[in-house]
Amino acid sequence: MHSKRLFSRIAVASVAALILAGCSSSNDEASSSGVPDVPMMNSLGAGEGQVNVVAWAGYVENGSTDPNVDWVTGFEKETGCKVNVKNGATSDDMVALMKTGEYDVVSASGDASLRLIYGGDVAPVNTELIPNYADIFDNLKLQQWNSVDGVAYGVPHGRGANLLAYRTDIVKPAPTSWGAVFDVNSPYKGKITAYDSPIYIADAALYLMKTQPDLGITYPYALDQKQFDAAVELLKAQKPLIGEYWGDYLKHVASLKSGGTVLGTTWQVNINLAKGEGTKVEGIKPTEGSTGWSDTWMISSKAKNPNCAYLWMNHIASPEANAGVAEWFGEAPSNAKSCDLTADKNHCATFHAADDAYWDDVYYWNTPTEACLDGRTDATCVPYAEWVKAWSSLRNS
Amino acid sequence: MSGSTIVSIRSLKRSFGDVRAVDGIDLDITEGEFLTLLGPSGSGKTTVLRMIAGFEKPDSGTITLAGKDVSQLPPYERDVNTVFQDYALFPHMDVLANIEYGLRVKGFAKQECRSRALTALKQIRLEGYENRKPAQLSGGQRQRVALARALVNQPAVLLLDEPLGALDLKLREQMQIELKALQREVGITFVFVTHDQEEALSMSDRIAVFNHGKIEQIGTPREIYENPKSEFVSEFVGQTNRIEYDGKKINIRPEFVTISRASSTGGRSVQGTLRDAIFVGASTRYLFDTSIGFPMISTQSNNQLKVGDVVTLSWQEEKEFLVQQ
Amino acid sequence: MLQEISNTMHKKPKLRLVALLTAPILWLVVAYLGALATLLVAAFFTIDSFTGNVIQTFNLGNFHDMFTDAAYKNVVLRTVGIALLVTVVCTVLAIPMAFYMAKIAKPRSQKILVALILTPLWASYLVKIYAWRTMLEPGNGVLDWLLGPLGFSSPGFGGPAIIIGLSYLWLPYMILPIYAGLERLPNNLLDASGDLGAHNWHTFRRIVLPLIFPSLVAGSMFTFSLSLGDYITATIIGGKLQMLGNVVYQNFSINLPFAATIATIPVTIMAIYLWMVRRTGALASL
Repeated sequence: MHSKRLFSRIAVASVAALILAGCSSSNDEASSSGVPDVPMMNSLGAGEGQVNVVAWAGYVENGSTDPNVDWVTGFEKETGCKVNVKNGATSDDMVALMKTGEYDVVSASGDASLRLIYGGDVAPVNTELIPNYADIFDNLKLQQWNSVDGVAYGVPHGRGANLLAYRTDIVKPAPTSWGAVFDVNSPYKGKITAYDSPIYIADAALYLMKTQPDLGITYPYALDQKQFDAAVELLKAQKPLIGEYWGDYLKHVASLKSGGTVLGTTWQVNINLAKGEGTKVEGIKPTEGSTGWSDTWMISSKAKNPNCAYLWMNHIASPEANAGVAEWFGEAPSNAKSCDLTADKNHCATFHAADDAYWDDVYYWNTPTEACLDGRTDATCVPYAEWVKAWSSLRNS
Repeated sequence: MSGSTIVSIRSLKRSFGDVRAVDGIDLDITEGEFLTLLGPSGSGKTTVLRMIAGFEKPDSGTITLAGKDVSQLPPYERDVNTVFQDYALFPHMDVLANIEYGLRVKGFAKQECRSRALTALKQIRLEGYENRKPAQLSGGQRQRVALARALVNQPAVLLLDEPLGALDLKLREQMQIELKALQREVGITFVFVTHDQEEALSMSDRIAVFNHGKIEQIGTPREIYENPKSEFVSEFVGQTNRIEYDGKKINIRPEFVTISRASSTGGRSVQGTLRDAIFVGASTRYLFDTSIGFPMISTQSNNQLKVGDVVTLSWQEEKEFLVQQ
Repeated sequence: MLQEISNTMHKKPKLRLVALLTAPILWLVVAYLGALATLLVAAFFTIDSFTGNVIQTFNLGNFHDMFTDAAYKNVVLRTVGIALLVTVVCTVLAIPMAFYMAKIAKPRSQKILVALILTPLWASYLVKIYAWRTMLEPGNGVLDWLLGPLGFSSPGFGGPAIIIGLSYLWLPYMILPIYAGLERLPNNLLDASGDLGAHNWHTFRRIVLPLIFPSLVAGSMFTFSLSLGDYITATIIGGKLQMLGNVVYQNFSINLPFAATIATIPVTIMAIYLWMVRRTGALASL
């Protein structure tokens, strides 16, 4: 009996200690702009021998997927920095991974980058330590999603649009509008897919922006409550049409191939992969335009391998690597010199790398905040946390 | 004992793999008798019992119960009940529920089940134990509950599979008496399996001695004991002196061999030298080397003999018996 | 040296007890209770809606959200329903299989059958579920190919698929305890019941079922709790249907405190389940 009491006392004490330990870690102190004060790297030292990368699938290829697709091995040989890559499935995934402090760099999309900056998870980037930064298209530098107060927080990587995929042998006639995935009478009911992330609400908002002008949506990431509710309603109506929401791109590609999915939102890289397996599938940017991404390589504020991280950011922004990624992933490169190095000489033309007009109706992923991102001051917008809740609620209803 | 035949077994056979457990048995069981199936383990007696109960199906042959061929019927369609070796009481039910089980299954009204079970409980002198679980009873009590559980159904035949095997000697002897008395009281046919010859002799109306899947002999205990028809029976049921006397092979039970200090008195007698004496309580077993060359045993009440003493062993001729080789 | 230690140990039974139990108790307290406590505490935190950083101030907002949004009530009911159905399916399939193994099969085939039941546990969970994905694929899956000629079709991805998948995965966890329970059940109890006039079904209901009830409970604790916490099967063959585990998985990267709040639901359900099981008294005879 005695020892039993002794052990239960130990148990209670240990739990209490754990709880106290959990509570005592303090928050980062913030500077006046609301951005935590994270020091910038001043000079480059020797490489640490490795770099831990969080990236979208297809951004870091070392020849293991396709022997001809490799922009990592050369870098590893040249710098002695071994590249360890962890693919993130969604922006939320990436934010969570970066918060662990285990990773040095991340290819963050616009709906992740600001959260990382304001969360103190990434450090400002000293662009002088990155020679290739000079060749990046100017209209990608120091944008809303990759800088604060004129301070760069990363190196632009590339951009692309979320496309509407359809099986050319099944979906006839070929769709031209996002209406195809919202049509409640669609003959493809049950075989339509959508991207499994809160940010997909913006796709609905974009469609409403073009089809229901009364709502007054001007930017899919700046939705007041009424506009937001309308977008969520549209998604609720869409749900019966959906066979599967996709988060895992490999499963998504498999579904396209098997015919389980015949229509829905996708990335160019998925189309490429599916075609590579003989699937009759195409991806288009519909008439309404589309959501998209403009990704940024960022460095962790807790980077354990900062030198290799800078070397990597310089390498991935180089014309060769940038051309490789852009062509493999199916996006527009960020380095102006990349266009001369792509295998397909028309790549930059196809992906409208320098065609500013093409990007006019591509709305890069962004993080919604209470202050409306479209500049409205008379309205309060629904912040991302609410998007998350609405998405979770939609998925579980 | 002069009743009609209640169970009739003809050419019954059953093998387990290569082992012929029951190898052609014919047996008639008379209504109201206490019949014991006696034999060493593996002799087929339990298999016969299990075939009567319906737990095993015969390979061939028939079992007729009250004029009806039941050979292929499942246990629950036979009007017999079994008392198992280790009682097989249902551990999750109390004593009353165990006893009521058979009646409830047969769809008797709750009230009737209850009153019949309580009567049975009284019969086995376990009033007040109705709400105990089997685990809370002693071996003897469990034994009695098992008995009551079977008897309450008033079966045509009660089968008992070595029911006293797990009890200690004293309790066993007491239960032997109780069981016999109970059988007389209820008048139900008992078929009792045991390997204990004393038990068989003391309780049975008739005994069937089993060996290697066959019945060696069937008869009253006295017939079996005093006139065993085979060497096996004579050996298995009690001890036997097997000697050659006057050029004839004869058998004589040790208790019929008397010891006297006097020299030969004529009749059947030999000279014996005491080799060993084994004290077994009420009597002593004396082991002699004899003048005719065969060792002999005499079981007598205690005698003042010492090893090496020379005595005369004698017996009456009518106590001798012959056996088939 | 070793001799000395064991001598000291022998003389001091308390020291012996401490030496024996320190590691497991530490494990239990730190890894298990500690994790549970952290979970419970985190459930009352909140996050900065923009950066996603956890703010460690006590509030009930997460619980408020959880209880007011009908979606979460639905997902709880759905998950519990699936877990119960999986348990029922496993029980219905496991009892005859275990009965055959324990009471009918010959000793040699008994061993082979146990080995066969155990083999699927060696294969990766993911491999098995992806295999079911291929089987269930609507239109060109194995199931459609098999059932199509008979006029049936694959249930496709969704609730039925999850129930099939999970039942398949957890079946061994139900069979083995029932098998062990039936092994312990003396054959002559079945004989006795039949002898007393009970048909097989009656014997099963009145004798077998009550006596293997503790085994059923043990098995159901596996099938129910494993189903309750599963999210991978739902992700792969659940179509757009989600279970509680998916909500936790979805939220833990975005909103850890809310994920923790959701995670208290299965913990609570399991606690209630165990409490109910305790009241039946089945735990005592395990």
